[in-house]
Amino acid sequence: MLDIRNLERRWFKYKIKSYAPYIGAIFLLLISLMAVLYLSHDSDAPVSAVKKAQLDSTVKTTSLTATPKNDENPDILEPSMDFVQSFQTSIPQTPMAPAAPAPQSPKPLQQSIPVPKVLNVPESASIKAPPPAISPLSGDKSLSVNRNESKIDIESVERRFKDTSNASLGLFIARYHYDHGNYSEAYNFSLKTNNLNNKIEESWIIFAKSLVKLGKVDQAKKTLQLYISESNSESARSLLDSIERGTFK
Amino acid sequence: MENSLFSKPRDLFLDIVNPRDYVQIDSVSHMYQSLKNSVQKPLKMILLYGKPGTGKSMLLHKLHHDLSKHQKVLMFDIPIVDEDDFLRVLAQRIFGHSPREVMTLTRFLEIAEAVSYQDVPIVLLDEAQLYSSSLMEKIRLISDARAIKFVITLHKTDKEDVIAKEHFQTRIWESIELQNASAEELKIYVQKKLLKANCFDVANMFNDKNMRLITSLTKGNYRDTNKLLFSLFSLYYWYEQNHPTLIKYNALKSKWIEMAAIHTGLIRA
Repeated sequence: MLDIRNLERRWFKYKIKSYAPYIGAIFLLLISLMAVLYLSHDSDAPVSAVKKAQLDSTVKTTSLTATPKNDENPDILEPSMDFVQSFQTSIPQTPMAPAAPAPQSPKPLQQSIPVPKVLNVPESASIKAPPPAISPLSGDKSLSVNRNESKIDIESVERRFKDTSNASLGLFIARYHYDHGNYSEAYNFSLKTNNLNNKIEESWIIFAKSLVKLGKVDQAKKTLQLYISESNSESARSLLDSIERGTFK
Repeated sequence: MENSLFSKPRDLFLDIVNPRDYVQIDSVSHMYQSLKNSVQKPLKMILLYGKPGTGKSMLLHKLHHDLSKHQKVLMFDIPIVDEDDFLRVLAQRIFGHSPREVMTLTRFLEIAEAVSYQDVPIVLLDEAQLYSSSLMEKIRLISDARAIKFVITLHKTDKEDVIAKEHFQTRIWESIELQNASAEELKIYVQKKLLKANCFDVANMFNDKNMRLITSLTKGNYRDTNKLLFSLFSLYYWYEQNHPTLIKYNALKSKWIEMAAIHTGLIRA
């Protein structure tokens, strides 16, 4: 005689058992997916922290400049451009000076690529000072405190670069200047970085981009062609293509 | 209950070997025809082998049923393992001789020589793996003397390839292997069996999906299929009596097939 109730119960257990591996697999998949997401988020954290710090400095600048509208003091504190002068004087003294860069570094890439001259940074007077965050209104007697901490930061980094001749620092500074539209600075620092270490692809890219921005397209192309022939870099090739097509802006 | 739709199909799948229940399937029919042809040849020993539940016994019973109308055929579906008893039963039932003295092989062959048939008598031995080596040796000598033609069935297990056994390797003149049924063959088997018994409604309930499930559970084994379907129709019978609204007449319920498989032990739950 069949015990249907018992059979149904056993069948239910059997179904649960038969689905258990699939449920387990899905559960494990979800866990691993979450772990991957968590880890990837974690690895992004330092980068975002740096970005956040940069953002903070900008925000700080604007917030500081925005507030003192009600201040009675009409004096405006201008950003110090001294570092430019100090840097300018330091350029010829560096071993990566354009006078004789090739004999100093016997690396093959260095020999194959003609080292362009370091551009003279224009006099501080001719450099357009960055416009103040708030243009002083005529007749407005408010005090405008215009502190730019990011400039102070980059100054200290440049000082450290001068002391240590660290290629990573050079690249950082070049990237910073390029991002901020200081293409001549970006050119100089990427050149210095290339002299220190001619295998940093990004430095060569910034160097070429800066040349384009400075209107020296042919030199940029030549440099990229030589670099591609040495390193077979895909990024350099794509940059060269975009420059040749005129799509690079 | 008399007007139950499922009681008759249930009884059809009782695990009983009856040659009248033999269902013709192409592959099995082909095997059976070749077996019949082999029996007509002057071969001394024919081996029918395959995994348990592939229909060896049914084929042997069918052969016995068909041949016994024309010639002397003796069927041993339950092995006689004692040698003396074996020879004595053979002597009595084939040659009609019941000696009082101890039956030796020599004596048996003398009796066989004394009685001559137009066609060599055929002895069908089911489950021959249960016979001892010495008895198998005697069977070989009897067949060598052309006193009797033997058709024997053996289980073929994965661990032990019986064909390789010394007894059968050199003495088998013909061997036929039976295989498990495919889903299509099993469907034909089930439907033919049901249609033969006029269970048309129930036969129509078997669709391809049902048969794939049944085949996966029984692995095409006819005996397991019979057991499973017996349990399945017992289940249907129960639901018919207690919860008739749960029954769908257009297809079998996979759940109930699995429940029947749990009941028969095909699924361990």
